[in-house]
Amino acid sequence: MFGVGGEILWVDMTKGKIEKVPIDEELVNKYLLGAGYLSKILYDMIPAGTDPLGKKNILGIATGLLTGSMFPQASRHVVAALSPLTDVWGESHAAGFFGAELKFAGYDAIMFTGASSDPLYLNIEDSKVELLDASHLWGKDVFETDDILRKDHDRQFRTLSIGQAGENLVRFSAIMNDRDRASARSGLGAVMGSKKIKAVSVKGTGKLEVADPKNYLKQMDIFYERMMANPFTPGRVKYGTTSLVEMMQHIGRLPSYNMKQGVFDGYEKISGEAINEKYLVKARADFSCLQRCGRYTAVRKGPYAFEGGSPEFETQSSMGSRCGNDNLESILFGHHLANQYGMDTISLGGTISWAMEAWDEGLLTAEDTGGIDLSWGNAETIIKLTKMIALREGFGDVLADGSAAAAERIGRGTEKFVMTVKKQEIAGQEPRAQKSMGLAAVTAARGADHLYAFPVLDEAGFDKEIKERFGEQYLPEMADRLNPKYKGIMVKECEDFMVMVESVGLCKYGTQIPPEFYYDDIALTLKIHNGLNFTGNQLQEIGERIVNLNRLFNARFGVTRKDDCLPDRLTKEKAPLGPSAGEVVELDQMLTEYYDVRGWDQETGLPLKETLERLGLDYE
Amino acid sequence: MTELKFVFGDPDICSGCMVCVNVCSMFYSKVIGPTRSRVRVVRLEPALDFALFCRNCEDAPCIEACPEGALSRTSKGIVIVNNKKCNGTGACVEACPYNAIHIHPDTGKAIKCIQCGQCIDRCPADAIFMTTTAELAERDKDGRMMALHEKHKKELYPKEAKN
Ligand code: SF4
Ligand code: SF4
Ligand code: SF4
Repeated sequence: MFGVGGEILWVDMTKGKIEKVPIDEELVNKYLLGAGYLSKILYDMIPAGTDPLGKKNILGIATGLLTGSMFPQASRHVVAALSPLTDVWGESHAAGFFGAELKFAGYDAIMFTGASSDPLYLNIEDSKVELLDASHLWGKDVFETDDILRKDHDRQFRTLSIGQAGENLVRFSAIMNDRDRASARSGLGAVMGSKKIKAVSVKGTGKLEVADPKNYLKQMDIFYERMMANPFTPGRVKYGTTSLVEMMQHIGRLPSYNMKQGVFDGYEKISGEAINEKYLVKARADFSCLQRCGRYTAVRKGPYAFEGGSPEFETQSSMGSRCGNDNLESILFGHHLANQYGMDTISLGGTISWAMEAWDEGLLTAEDTGGIDLSWGNAETIIKLTKMIALREGFGDVLADGSAAAAERIGRGTEKFVMTVKKQEIAGQEPRAQKSMGLAAVTAARGADHLYAFPVLDEAGFDKEIKERFGEQYLPEMADRLNPKYKGIMVKECEDFMVMVESVGLCKYGTQIPPEFYYDDIALTLKIHNGLNFTGNQLQEIGERIVNLNRLFNARFGVTRKDDCLPDRLTKEKAPLGPSAGEVVELDQMLTEYYDVRGWDQETGLPLKETLERLGLDYE
Repeated sequence: MTELKFVFGDPDICSGCMVCVNVCSMFYSKVIGPTRSRVRVVRLEPALDFALFCRNCEDAPCIEACPEGALSRTSKGIVIVNNKKCNGTGACVEACPYNAIHIHPDTGKAIKCIQCGQCIDRCPADAIFMTTTAELAERDKDGRMMALHEKHKKELYPKEAKN
């Protein structure tokens, strides 16, 4: 096969043994690489009853088939394991340079099994792969770790690591790479920490040979021109994702005060425009990326002074509006701190906002918090708790297990303020203002998640794309974000496409929003890059297969329809304010439609026998 | 005298995407791989991304250094490698003050930027441009770009062991 590293590293942390295994081309034909490949390996190897933080869990880090290619935004890798936050399928993705570098070193994936008793890091220099002592790195933050590794080896190394949060088994800790890139969701930093893997450093001096070198650049020029000409690209360069604050406020989809409402009075203070005005230093890109959504910002003075990669819309919402916090400098700094300690800002802000609501309702008191004032919008508290969570100090230790576990521990009715699905905090899309997002949060394999489906086609007038991707008959309902009709069909289609995109290593920007590249473009690229012959339809079927396999994985850990639910607040209480006031999420209706198009049983929510047979999947 | 042209990048604008690196290795070597490219991209904190090319030195120490006489300047002022003569000793690599000439791992011959402009056309950030020393001084009036290159030269032009 062309365009890949060619081998997978199997690293047994218990025995300290490293094995190189060629990628299994038969598996690639059924699952591609990246998310799909990991889905299959982990499905085959992680039995029911596995402890997510025990030796038997397996942590996979994989690149996609096109990671390291010249396709726009081909920078991504995926990490997966049984999640310690949700106790079900855990998966997370990041861009950067780590994935491409791994490929240049000759590898497509790294699988970590077992656990070491002492901290180690994996160092890769082309064919030389070794586990090295990391005792000098343990306790260091992500930036320090990157600095030390690149000083000890050389500065061309790319690093992936955990910070203190992962070491301390914070259940929403991230795996970081290239300093400020985060595989944040699902708490997989804790899995890395439980295995005592501090970091992976890699330098590759190899090359990727492509299947059709003659036409390659010509075809890439066509893709580049399309991406650059897309009307979304200039805005992405200018704002990254930060201007979503304004856009979401506008439709009432900006989670505020722990998702009590979807509008926030202080939105202008934390907006993309506000960031550009005073704090933006530069837009940065990852490997092969034409859109440069990465933000590099600086706060020059005061208690929140820093400079570095920050923020992303999700943090503006989670550490901002969701906590009632309009202090922008604290949000930028909070994001930076979360990177430094290695934590998911969505679950971090989601957990703190749960505590703030419980405090506001008088259910949490200074006695619980050790005297910390949890009033809405208390920026100082948010920053203080960020550190305390990462280090598991005081009340931070309670919050470090996520809001669902914290509420279970505290009790007293605080459970009803937990805004999670399958114990993972819902991201920055108030679903009463966009119904498809409510459904997507519920069906995502990794628990509450906007990215597994990333159903954005009803967000901003993509009628043309809906017509192309689905057919005219679904308009206007499908394009109406408040109408639950056809959202099951839309979410299903988006999931199939998005897991396929995660399996080839591309970004959701450019594929889903803006919806510039679709199945046929990817099929063509797999042909000229990898020499693989897939049709668009086959790629769609692979996506469907992966989603079903993720569902079977979750079924093994007890998931059924009863777990596909949203907090009552979102399905029963009408949105109180703003442009989407009066709305609830009509979840049951959408879910029924979704199971129907998925070929899943309405009662159990699990794949029907004929569905599995059609997709060539075995069932237990 | 012909104006000596070279490609130069603005480290405040360059996003670090490595598109230029990939374009060059694909255009000349038909592969993707930074070690097969005639341009390097180096990311430094805070917020700097340097795309680094042959500076087309007037005194061209690389030409001087080559014991085989494989390097020469064309009538257009471009320093080129004669592959028939180059035997990969790497004296040029040692001599270049800008770490801008390397031995290609596959061919064993020296490669360097020959100012063809392929990457310039495709840079999504418009961060690189063809220039001369005089034009650059004009464009960079306040000396910002040059100062950044100068300030970080230790990290940008490390002396490497030859391949
Ligand atoms: S293509 Fe342009 S923006 Fe990208 S690394 Fe090269 S010079 Fe920088
Ligand atoms: S290769 Fe180096 S020494 Fe030769 S002209 Fe270019 S920058 Fe100068
Ligand atoms: S100008 Fe031409 S030779 Fe020089 S780096 Fe760009 S593509 Fe390569």
